[in-house]
Amino acid sequence: MAKYLKKIYIGLIILFLYLPIGVLIVSSFNNTKVLGKWGGFTLDWYKNLFENEAILNSLKNTLLIAVLAATISTVLGVLGCVAISKMKRSTKSVINGVTNIPMLNAEIVTGLAFMLLFIGIGMKLTFNTLLIAHITFCLPYVVLSVMPKIEQSDRSMYEAARDLGATPLQAFFKITLPEIMPGVLSGFVMAFTMSIDDFVITYFTRGSGIDTLSTKIYTEVKKGIKPEMYALSTLLFVTVFILMILANRAPSEKREKKPMSRKKRIFTFAASGVVAVLIIIAFIFSMKDNSPTSNKELYVYNWGEYIDPEVIKMFEEETGYKVYYEEFETNEDMYTIVDRGARIYDVICPSDYMIAKMIENGLLAEINYENIPNISYIGEEYMELSKGFDPENKYSVPYCYGTVGIMYNTTMVDDVVDSWDILFDEKYAGNILMQASVRDAFCVALSELGYSINSLNEDEIKEATELLIKQKPLVQAYVVDQVRDKMIDNRAAIGVIYSGEAEYMREENPDLEYVVPKEGTNFWVDSWVIPSNAENKEAAEEWINFMCRPEIALLNFEYILYASPNTGVKELIEDEELLNSQALYPSDEVLARCEVYEYLGEDGDAMYDKYWTEVGAASSELADEEEEDTGMGRMFVILNIVGIVLVLVLLIVWNIREGIKERKRK
Amino acid sequence: MSNKLIDLVNISKSYDNELILDDLNLYIRENEFLTLLGPSGCGKTTTLRLIGGFESPDQGKIIFDGQDITKLPPHKRTLNTVFQKYALFTHMTIAENIAFGLKIKKKSKAYIDDKIKYALKLVNLDGYENRMADQLSGGQQQRIAIARAIVNEPKVLLLDEPLGALDLKLRQDMQYELIRLKNELGITFIYVTHDQEEALTMSDTIVVMNQGYIQQIGTPENIYNEPENAFVADFIGDSNIIDGVMIEDKVVEILGTKFACVDEGFGNNTPVDVVIRPEDVELVSPQEGIIEGVVSHLIFKGVHYEMEVQAHGYEWLVQSTKLVPVGTKVGIKVDPFNIQIMNKPASEDEEAVMLDE
Repeated sequence: MAKYLKKIYIGLIILFLYLPIGVLIVSSFNNTKVLGKWGGFTLDWYKNLFENEAILNSLKNTLLIAVLAATISTVLGVLGCVAISKMKRSTKSVINGVTNIPMLNAEIVTGLAFMLLFIGIGMKLTFNTLLIAHITFCLPYVVLSVMPKIEQSDRSMYEAARDLGATPLQAFFKITLPEIMPGVLSGFVMAFTMSIDDFVITYFTRGSGIDTLSTKIYTEVKKGIKPEMYALSTLLFVTVFILMILANRAPSEKREKKPMSRKKRIFTFAASGVVAVLIIIAFIFSMKDNSPTSNKELYVYNWGEYIDPEVIKMFEEETGYKVYYEEFETNEDMYTIVDRGARIYDVICPSDYMIAKMIENGLLAEINYENIPNISYIGEEYMELSKGFDPENKYSVPYCYGTVGIMYNTTMVDDVVDSWDILFDEKYAGNILMQASVRDAFCVALSELGYSINSLNEDEIKEATELLIKQKPLVQAYVVDQVRDKMIDNRAAIGVIYSGEAEYMREENPDLEYVVPKEGTNFWVDSWVIPSNAENKEAAEEWINFMCRPEIALLNFEYILYASPNTGVKELIEDEELLNSQALYPSDEVLARCEVYEYLGEDGDAMYDKYWTEVGAASSELADEEEEDTGMGRMFVILNIVGIVLVLVLLIVWNIREGIKERKRK
Repeated sequence: MSNKLIDLVNISKSYDNELILDDLNLYIRENEFLTLLGPSGCGKTTTLRLIGGFESPDQGKIIFDGQDITKLPPHKRTLNTVFQKYALFTHMTIAENIAFGLKIKKKSKAYIDDKIKYALKLVNLDGYENRMADQLSGGQQQRIAIARAIVNEPKVLLLDEPLGALDLKLRQDMQYELIRLKNELGITFIYVTHDQEEALTMSDTIVVMNQGYIQQIGTPENIYNEPENAFVADFIGDSNIIDGVMIEDKVVEILGTKFACVDEGFGNNTPVDVVIRPEDVELVSPQEGIIEGVVSHLIFKGVHYEMEVQAHGYEWLVQSTKLVPVGTKVGIKVDPFNIQIMNKPASEDEEAVMLDE
């Protein structure tokens, strides 16, 4: 009975540990983009994954860093261990303690500390800083697995080798090293795994243009999880899983003794071979990468999924520049990085209000428009609108624009949708999705009330707050990316979205329709700017000019389906439906009712934040976000609860049994 | 005997301010089987490691074959060591283990193969070439360790308690094996042990050490029969060590009774230690004995009986092939030649220093 219970108990633990990963793996083969629905088996996501150059590039970076960091930290770690093992006992324990601390230290502290150090001593964050950081945090793991092997190994073996005529070096390589090899290998694998796994430290220490898989996944996830990411995560998990098994196998063979020895040698030999090949490949890669083919470099910082990758290649081919292309998730993230000078970019694509903030803080360089003849293709009206954040048109060149509007499902909404009013209609209670960001939420309420979306009048904001609170019982959820997924999946009738998403959503679900409310809304522009610390300003201007070329702008338009301010593009678009799309190309009349987000200043931001918190605290509706979920989700929750109850019951039964046994013994 | 091969001159060594060897002087002759014998911590292993080159002395010199090798690293010394825990290379086969030293010296493959065969034959393990070290028993591993050392044709073989980990029967077999090996190889053996029986069985010369000082150097017979102090007497075999007073030359008073002995020159009425080996105590009828006692204990030991006799307040240890039942009144008699007289040391330290000087 007890045995049976034990098995169930262990089974449950394993279930809870691996169920999430199981779901992830299943999802990676699921032929639908919608979460929690089975749409048949497919390998498409894996196929897409390996066609995505950015991901492959980050994969290459990840492996390169991992192999280099693991190799170097293993060499350093082994040397360190040899030295430590010869120290006095008291010194030894101190050193051992010191090497363990980095492992226990919160990663974010380590990461921040590294960044501060690098910037503090004037090192630009590059591939090398990332590598240094990785070597450093891998080192303790190597020491951890090598040290016991050295302590275990018979010191007289080394002496025997010396006695038989070996020099200290010969004795180390021929005797000590092979003896501790299992520990060295598992240390290497551990370091390798840790390096592949790491996100936090990488995030803080990587240079511009260098993405690893973990930072790449993070970027992608922020944009809305795509199934390719499930595939990538699955591959990553499987790799790490296999490596961990290898790492654990190596030392355990030693324990088994017996005639395993032959096998062990073959295993060790094979493993060393694999490692050697990996190292050689890594070095070849790094040689290729580190030898500057030319000084023509360009560091681009753009929103995720905001360019046709082909365009980058074309630019490189045409100009001979090497482009380091990197993505950010929010304007605020981008601002932090650029403001601190942690990473230096040559050309960035922030949004309107953020451009205003950057201008105000002196982060931007004036653009020499003489170098950008193609600016003539940018519609005059957009240059005019840009004055809202760049009053003299000195710092920015528009790239994409759009509106914030209402997406509704024609099969679920009978009323005419042309006003924000629909979001406050009780008829649609529980079927309304709002954007979970301050500016967008207040944009809805302020426009509905007829105020400016950049209002700094506290009374107006108060009024808007009350309106939002009043609306809350009707709202199904405040979300970001789920608006898209839920609307496609018919799980909500009305949602606030960016016009840029509209075309994509309509392709997935033709019942959806986008409108710009008659009260007016936010009109947003993302424009190219050049930071004042850019190191390749001319290249940046060349890039911007390239982006303004109609054929190139068209490629980008077709890829990202966000409206382009490029007049040449409109002429080239063949798809009538796209051209007439209100979402893509709002009429002048609509545009006239729109405003750009202005930078509110620090006090303004604080005020909005304060009232936004009030909205959030108003009722518990936000917590019910997941209420309207799939059966699968519900099943997980039930399973979890059942599981936890079961575990608790088992533990209690166990304790009682042990108690009874104890009493009997007495 | 032949020349001095190794000469340790005024060697001192300490670890962490603890003196291990204090001004030690010792020489080893060519072709000698010399044993360093003593309890753990006496400095015997340190002495061996100094000769092997694994430690360097704080003071003093080591002369080998007329050359000062004090600062020579171990791999340049023409001697080899057999370690207590064998120290076989576990990731290599037996043949690779044996070949290790020869490969480092870049000998030809034919030469190495020959040597491996020869060495394995010498230690009675022909055909074990391709086994792994951890597939062998302790005794076999020890033989391999010896084979691995001797293929390098060292002038001296250092053995650090090589039989310590083996069981009794195997240990005895190996003792004969080592003697045979030494005779066949004709080289010098320096052997470290804390087992007095091992030392007595195999050695030409025994060096008894205690607390970093040499207590006595001599042949096994010499050490056993004429221990120079109570420590040696106590350490080598069983002994009755009794307080006595040297009345005059050749007369010693033990437990209030005068015994005839052969020692002279201790002065008159000097307190001394008297050592009498248990097998030298004769049990006779009460009338015939010098002093009288009663048998209080009796144990059968195989080759002899071991008895304890209460006499004049001292418990005499007696070994005899004749059984005397417990409770029997007996007389104790000792041949004057078998009474060993030693000066009394004032303290243990003084006891140690005294003989070293």
